[in-house]
Amino acid sequence: MRIPFLSMFVTSPFEGLLEHAEKVNECALVFQQAMECYISEGCERFEDFRQDIHRIEDEADSIKRRIRGHLPKGTLLQYDKFELFRYLGEQDKVLDAMQESLDWISIRSELGIPQRLATDIKIFVNAVTNAVAELSKMAAEAQKYFKSYSNDQRIHVKEMIRSLRRQEHEADKLEDGLKQKVFDSISDPVTVFHLVRMAEIIGSIADHAENAGDMMRAMIAV
Amino acid sequence: MISEFHILIIGYIFGFYMAWNIGANDVANSMASAVGAKAITIRQAIFIAGILNIVGATFIGSHVTNTIRKGIVSTDILADPNLALIGALSALLSAALWVSFATWKSLPVSTTHSIVGAMIGFGIMAGGFTMINWGKLGAVVLSWVISPVFSMAIGFGMFKIIVKTILKKKDPYERALKLSPFFIGIAIFVVILSFLFKTPLGKRLSIGTPTALIVAGTLACLLGYAGMRALRRFVKNPEASGEEAIFRKIQIGTSCYVALAQGANDVANAIGPLAVIYFIVKTGSVGTKVPVPLFLLLFGGIGIACGIAMAGNRVMETIGRRITTLNNTRGFSVDFAAATTVLIASKLGLPVSTTHAAVGGVMGVGLARGIEAVNFRIIFQIMIYWILTVPISAITSIVIFKILQLVV
Repeated sequence: MRIPFLSMFVTSPFEGLLEHAEKVNECALVFQQAMECYISEGCERFEDFRQDIHRIEDEADSIKRRIRGHLPKGTLLQYDKFELFRYLGEQDKVLDAMQESLDWISIRSELGIPQRLATDIKIFVNAVTNAVAELSKMAAEAQKYFKSYSNDQRIHVKEMIRSLRRQEHEADKLEDGLKQKVFDSISDPVTVFHLVRMAEIIGSIADHAENAGDMMRAMIAV
Repeated sequence: MISEFHILIIGYIFGFYMAWNIGANDVANSMASAVGAKAITIRQAIFIAGILNIVGATFIGSHVTNTIRKGIVSTDILADPNLALIGALSALLSAALWVSFATWKSLPVSTTHSIVGAMIGFGIMAGGFTMINWGKLGAVVLSWVISPVFSMAIGFGMFKIIVKTILKKKDPYERALKLSPFFIGIAIFVVILSFLFKTPLGKRLSIGTPTALIVAGTLACLLGYAGMRALRRFVKNPEASGEEAIFRKIQIGTSCYVALAQGANDVANAIGPLAVIYFIVKTGSVGTKVPVPLFLLLFGGIGIACGIAMAGNRVMETIGRRITTLNNTRGFSVDFAAATTVLIASKLGLPVSTTHAAVGGVMGVGLARGIEAVNFRIIFQIMIYWILTVPISAITSIVIFKILQLVV
């Protein structure tokens, strides 16, 4: 039914955006489990986790398409439409990077990793997934700001974006440390290449989370 | 040859049909923002709208109605009673058919403009193009632009004020309570002024503009403070957003007013032509103005309420489900913008419709970034129907007039 009053109201894309953020968070949990499995000895479920991530990524993708496809031309939002799309793009890249890192690992997953690197990788992965968790929390808080326009809420969101940036920085340092340790302790060039590339891809997860935060900072600018 | 008695019965049927359509078509305008913002439930909305429309139509509605709405058509056409009878009947039916079609298709038309268009068609048939006051028609065209733009500006300003003075502050609940006399007061000020200026009852009290301003101002101050005390008592331990809870209560008041005013003003669209038929049948002639008996107004009010009760549920349910992004502060801004626009426009003598004002209010709040997502393109679609209303009901009226001339 087309009621004039009603046809002016478009479903807010923010609902979809939160749904997408939820998928990212869900994916991060699976990613963490997959990595823990990978660094433990005798991991058998790595492939299952990887398939799980592919499934979640698929679902998130359809959410993303739904958001992009359901904003009629001439829709006025509380922020710029393309800021929203950029944010969504970065949030999606977080997912892609998680997927890519597991795909990369799977090329040589059966070889496992040298046990002396296990703790470093675990700490690194935790730092990255913490940043992802912070991102989806931040998105939910940002929606509260857009609903209430409270200044306190805006400050709260800004604080979360700042902490996201700190977490990314933390993850960066851990990535550098891990790479250093790989070069120092492993002599097989193929293994070195595989591990260094893996560290870089995992590091990029936090980078994209930070970029998404920066985009949200632009969206809540007054 | 159909007897005059039969014509009167047909007139009642058409009049009721038109009133029913007014209720079905316009129920969204008065209640949409309140239902969308969850200030009232669907049942409450239908109940309030139905009762207040009857009350508004019967007791505030025009007891002396201009037989030709808004003076767009010259009253010379009423000289021949037989012609006037056919004309009133065809105007009533053509306006009702167009509004009915619009309700079926959910098109945003104005019932006032439909009857104006239908009367123009009748005027052209009865006396040619010279019968039409083209200047007055120009005012109608002007209102297509002025009322939404004006309402938009007020909606924009009101929401910005709420953001600046309440939402952005440290303790928005406390701020909203402190400022509630201002918001209640300004709403009451507008309500009382439009009651005094726009409703026929207010016009009969014939209070001058300065007196009206003083009366409205005093009452606004008093009721504003009384409202704050009531809010302090009734809106206790605020949840996450206490400021919205406060505006939820204020919004109930504004939507009640819109329903009351709607009944008072729109009943004439159905009852005006019916009154013409009634008087010709009873007395054999009709003047420029006719006294409308109370039972005709009650008849119109009940017709409107029936329309609301039967179509309202469907409309309200859709609104309640679909508009999830309208908070109470936003809903209040929309209501306030619409009510103020209707008041000022009718003071200026422009025939405005609540549909136009409500749509403008939503656009204004949207522009102030108050609504998460507003479709602005739809406004062009809406405007096309606003413009189409007058010629379509005029042409339908002409066709029906021709047919009736053959039959009667």
